[in-house]
Amino acid sequence: MLNRSIPPPTVLTDSIKVPHADLMYLPNGAKLLVVNEGEEDVCRVDLVFNAGSRYQQKNLQARAALTLLPEGTENHTSKQISEYFDFYGSFLNISVDKDFARITLSSLIKHLGSTLEMLSEVVKHPIYPERELQQWCKRGKQELMVELEKTSTLASQAFFRNVFGEQHPYGAFAIPDDYDNVQQQIIQDFHASFIGSNNLSIILSGKVGAAEIDLVVKHFGASKWGANPMEILNGIDKAKPGLSKTFVEKPNAVQTAIRIGRELFNRSHPDYPGMLVLNTILGGYFGSRLMRNIREEKGYTYGINSFIAPFRDSGLFMISTEVGSAYTEQTLKEIYFEVHRLTTEQVSNDELLLVKSYLIGEILRNFNGAFTIADSIISLLYYNELEYSYYDNLLNTIKTITPKKIAEIANKWFQSNVLIECIAGSVKPNKSEF
Amino acid sequence: MIEFDKFTLQNGLRVLVHHDSSTPIASVNLLYNVGSRDENPNRTGFAHLFEHLMFGGSVNIPSYDEPLERASGENNAFTSNDITNYYITLPKDNLETAFWLESDRMLSLDFSQRSLDVQKSVVVEEFNQRYLNQPYGDVWLMLRPLAYKVHPYQWPTIGKDPRHIIDSNLDEVKDFFFSHYAPNNAILCVSGNVTTYEVKTLAEKWFGPIPGRDVKTRSLPREPKQSEQRVLEVSRRVPFNSIYMAFHMCNRMHPDYSSTDLISDILSNGKSSRLFQSLVKDKELFSNIDAYITGDMDEGLFVVAGRLNNNVQFDAAQDAIFQELNGLKKAVENNEIDKVKNRFESTFTFGLTNALEKAMNLCYFELLGDASMVNQVVKEYRRVTAEDVMRVSKQIFSPENCSVLLYKAENL
Repeated sequence: MLNRSIPPPTVLTDSIKVPHADLMYLPNGAKLLVVNEGEEDVCRVDLVFNAGSRYQQKNLQARAALTLLPEGTENHTSKQISEYFDFYGSFLNISVDKDFARITLSSLIKHLGSTLEMLSEVVKHPIYPERELQQWCKRGKQELMVELEKTSTLASQAFFRNVFGEQHPYGAFAIPDDYDNVQQQIIQDFHASFIGSNNLSIILSGKVGAAEIDLVVKHFGASKWGANPMEILNGIDKAKPGLSKTFVEKPNAVQTAIRIGRELFNRSHPDYPGMLVLNTILGGYFGSRLMRNIREEKGYTYGINSFIAPFRDSGLFMISTEVGSAYTEQTLKEIYFEVHRLTTEQVSNDELLLVKSYLIGEILRNFNGAFTIADSIISLLYYNELEYSYYDNLLNTIKTITPKKIAEIANKWFQSNVLIECIAGSVKPNKSEF
Repeated sequence: MIEFDKFTLQNGLRVLVHHDSSTPIASVNLLYNVGSRDENPNRTGFAHLFEHLMFGGSVNIPSYDEPLERASGENNAFTSNDITNYYITLPKDNLETAFWLESDRMLSLDFSQRSLDVQKSVVVEEFNQRYLNQPYGDVWLMLRPLAYKVHPYQWPTIGKDPRHIIDSNLDEVKDFFFSHYAPNNAILCVSGNVTTYEVKTLAEKWFGPIPGRDVKTRSLPREPKQSEQRVLEVSRRVPFNSIYMAFHMCNRMHPDYSSTDLISDILSNGKSSRLFQSLVKDKELFSNIDAYITGDMDEGLFVVAGRLNNNVQFDAAQDAIFQELNGLKKAVENNEIDKVKNRFESTFTFGLTNALEKAMNLCYFELLGDASMVNQVVKEYRRVTAEDVMRVSKQIFSPENCSVLLYKAENL
């Protein structure tokens, strides 16, 4: 008779073979990383530039310069370009964060030659037609206005501003009116200053071999092109935190968005791996303390999480939730209770083992499939200068960290007087001082 | 091409196995043939509430998530109008943990009042977060009952009204479980570096002893043909006017399904698509516009949704949309059809690069009739002709077949 109350034996994966990308330096100096995985005849080309919003002189400059690339060249109109990519069943995604700009082409292998040809043209020779720019601004403004109706956006933006300071590259946000002041010239300037082979890393992933590598080299690696930025790798200004508590009123909202946290550090910091474990215990997985307490025991929310988000030159820790407006105060109380408990009570060996097992699964999942591997390699490139030892170090910490060490890290970084709290909703909580 | 093996246990559970040696992770997908269309009209949202309760402990295992996390696993689930789908990814060496957990909750839940009470509250907050506290979040709460007068697609999976969730009780939970959750009403797929023999051994060990259950044959009312245009206008605190137009379309197994899907792609898949080029870029009537099909198993909806630019009236917006839809009845270039077929093939092929997505697809096509259809999908879409597109457009795009929601910004 099967005894269903006894779990089957499990094994804790003790070594993870982190797949390395093949690294090559192309004739023009650009880096090419190749991840050859997968059975389907598809691939992805990621072009990564140090061209995030931190380098811009005006709000939206970086975003406009990158996202408007496919909106016209000397030889092709916006419509012709989109027809072209669409016809070959390819997808072009462009994203710009605080540190990096990333252009992702997803293509069927059989059409890679064609799609790369057009990609090369739009990346190197955009003309940013005035009409396309005006339409982009109009649509962007509308989207942002809708976004700013969300309590989650209001609370998050207030949080980033208060953590870093609203002038700081990591704390600044565009406002709708910024869309009225985007000039063609400043976009061209940004492109001319940051988009070029000297500032480029390429990640080619999927079922790729010599033929695909040759195509990438032909279009992006053979000779020098574009900008030649200087001193791109400088550090960043110190954060100038704002108020420790901010309430953003949003009349009639049925839920309150809560963001609590602080500035931390980047992924090279010695406390980073331990902080990852600590954060997981607090709010980093479904069984976390915040989730159990505030969702699974009390039902105040659909979800509550905590994150450690890395930037290239800093990082932050943030607890994030949307709760029923009537539950705001109780939720705040429970959040601080859980944070405080990490500093005063050592986590049990049993809970720690659970979190370790979960985290090892997470690392494995980060290397599940060609494009997931490519994403992990890109984040290694972003935040760790491609040092694969990051993963060895992380695994080692996950396996060996003790409850005592975790409490030490909590005490070092989670004292309640350094936490910044931002709330957006219709009801201002009574007991907090805003 | 996804290769797979298939076998059926004596209790009726269908099991699919896909071997993929490239990954250390195994994906386990378990589809139950129950969705919000199977709900009592006075207990809408129940299938989805039930999905939450499936994590509240089963008859022999007090916690679902914790043992899975101890096995380095992760899981989630979703509910649609048609199905409830649970999935796990975990290191292949711990595969048996997934079988242990999933089989126990198929055997029986522990039906705890406490879990029910908490999950009611969580689901109400989910309702608030996703439907009420987002600009335009309540569109589907209004558009569904406008388009469907009889068929249970008239409510969204979250339910018509949070009261239905709040008022539910444990007896209803038990009844729902034993009516729908059964090996003979489920499809399991394992994808990863596994052999069929391994999966068969585990399936027989853990799922084999669960008795087949008496699952009633589904008999849902057919939505009568709509005979005149329906219009609903509402005002909300949002920054811009929006328009939503829903047309009735065929069911998932109908031969015109692929043509209808490609029509939505011609209209709005990619920046070169007709609606974007004509109404956003050329005429500047909308800031964004989208056309898509709901993809339901029964007769579904073809939806066009657009956000109006500030000085544009609803009438002009609606006329412009109809003009584009009518354009499809007259002429479609082969080149344009080839384009959307290429895009479809590409999207579909990219989907196959993910082991979990493969497992989900296999289960879904098995539910539709045969998992091997997953390997015919691209071919089926390739067969669509310009004549098909024009013919289906003529059938669907008429004012009598259309429900319009005018979503007005209060302060405009």
